[in-house]
Amino acid sequence: MRSAFILFSVLAAAAFPAGATLGGSAESVVTDQARFHAKRAVLERRDYTVHEITGDDGTLIREYVTPAGKVFGVSWTGPTIPDLAQLLGAYNAEFQNTLRSKRSRRSAAVVRNADLVVESAGHTRAFHGRAYLNSMLPNGVTQDVVQ
Amino acid sequence: MTERRAVRLVRWRNSAAVVVAGVLLMTLAACSGGVSGGSIGTGVTTTPPPTINNVQPVLMDDGPVVNGQFVGFNNSVYTTVIICVPGTTTCQSIDHVLVDTGSTGLRLPASVVTLSLPFATDTSNNPIGNCVQYADTTYQWGPLVKVDVQMAGEVASSVPIQIVGPTNFAAAPSSCTAGGTPAQTVADLGSNGILGVGLFRQDCGSACAAASPPAIYFTCPASGCAVAPVAVNAQLQNPVWMFPQDNNGLSIILPQVGAAGSVSLAGSMIFGISTQSDNALGGAQAEGADPEGNFTTTFNGKVYSGSFIDSGSSGYFFLDSSTTALPNCAANSDANGFYCPASPVAFTAINSGPNPKGTGIPVSINVAFSIANALPLIDSPSVVFNNLGGPNPGSFDWGVPFFLGRTVFVGIEGQSSPAGTGPYWAY
Repeated sequence: MRSAFILFSVLAAAAFPAGATLGGSAESVVTDQARFHAKRAVLERRDYTVHEITGDDGTLIREYVTPAGKVFGVSWTGPTIPDLAQLLGAYNAEFQNTLRSKRSRRSAAVVRNADLVVESAGHTRAFHGRAYLNSMLPNGVTQDVVQ
Repeated sequence: MTERRAVRLVRWRNSAAVVVAGVLLMTLAACSGGVSGGSIGTGVTTTPPPTINNVQPVLMDDGPVVNGQFVGFNNSVYTTVIICVPGTTTCQSIDHVLVDTGSTGLRLPASVVTLSLPFATDTSNNPIGNCVQYADTTYQWGPLVKVDVQMAGEVASSVPIQIVGPTNFAAAPSSCTAGGTPAQTVADLGSNGILGVGLFRQDCGSACAAASPPAIYFTCPASGCAVAPVAVNAQLQNPVWMFPQDNNGLSIILPQVGAAGSVSLAGSMIFGISTQSDNALGGAQAEGADPEGNFTTTFNGKVYSGSFIDSGSSGYFFLDSSTTALPNCAANSDANGFYCPASPVAFTAINSGPNPKGTGIPVSINVAFSIANALPLIDSPSVVFNNLGGPNPGSFDWGVPFFLGRTVFVGIEGQSSPAGTGPYWAY
């Protein structure tokens, strides 16, 4: 809807350099692509870029990248939870530490810290979730775009 | 000969589980004797065929004890499961196994299993590793073994189950841990295991038998575990669909509790749907679930797909604070992760799914519920609550409070009853 234009390309895995993840530079996206044995599509929005990584097992990961090339959000849906140590990078430790006291709920995991927000929901066969950094949302972009 | 028999008698007398197994075998033998009852000539009273006991008690309480401490979590539904070395009367009774309609298959921490059970192997003769993840990013990892599973008078033979976290097995692969936290001990689980009696026959099904399976099944040669396809019948099975009878589903019946909760609660899990006089659908309405086990919940005029019923969840987990106007409990409080409204708030929602009879007309069921301040409840001696709620962004997770004061039927996929063909819920 707000797309200035859409560039759609499917790229082969493994031909890209290593990088980081949430909060990291955009090259991290291709690391994830290789890691998740996936195909990638790039969708250009007006104020950000979405990299869609689709795995053969039905996992769909989206990484949201600022104009400056930083990953400000990630989301996932699929039969299993993707490797959050990879997807959230250093922020996974903050997520796990905040969760520690909530485990007895046996429920979705929702962490809303000052900067880091993570939501992990679903059940066997159907998981979904998202994470973003408030401090890195591009101007004019809300958390709602991370879906 | 005589001496051996005497020894065996003593062993039988000393093992309640083995006695139960023996009674079961006798019951089965009686049943398999062909048609019984019926009248022969005049004046002979017709007796009904012997029926299998299909009523399995369930209990909500403080849970199992570890190091002298109760380790159970609030709103846990437990039952006692007997497992046996397949085809033998060498059995073990395990109490406080969590009854979970949100997963499939029996998972037991290695520490509670005393039976000697060989690892089940795949077509390459390697042990099969299994991974289950939960939304809170905990996981269980371990090999499959086969046991006979006994509940009430029902026996499922040679059922693949998961032994969670044995020390003599490969470590969990990173695609299983996924950056999360293991929940593999009795204390971590708050139970002596998880009995997954959800909508499906297997934990994964055909997706895990396909060429590019998700990271749920692994082939585990000595060199390490790798994701691999596993045939559907070798996967973790819902024991209920493997019973010789009463295998089309189950119902869970729990009484209602007051607003202050209860320190314990007794109920039952009845196997079969409309297979015996004690498991008729009555006035229950049936709504189908999709292949992932989800249906839609409509709340304040908005439709939330991806909703589900889960006796393994401890509350009504739904949406978020801004959508529900329910304040989140303080992050540094005992009730962290729940809603904490100043006074109870009543809600209604509508659950909808396809008619499991395939009529093409969706079935909608109204549900009323109430959410109270979780903090005083959790800090009270009670462990059973009908009014605990918390966030679950974008959908509804109808947890244990939903089951209180209801009979909830679980229609297993591909299995038929007068309600239609599973997967469906009826209540």
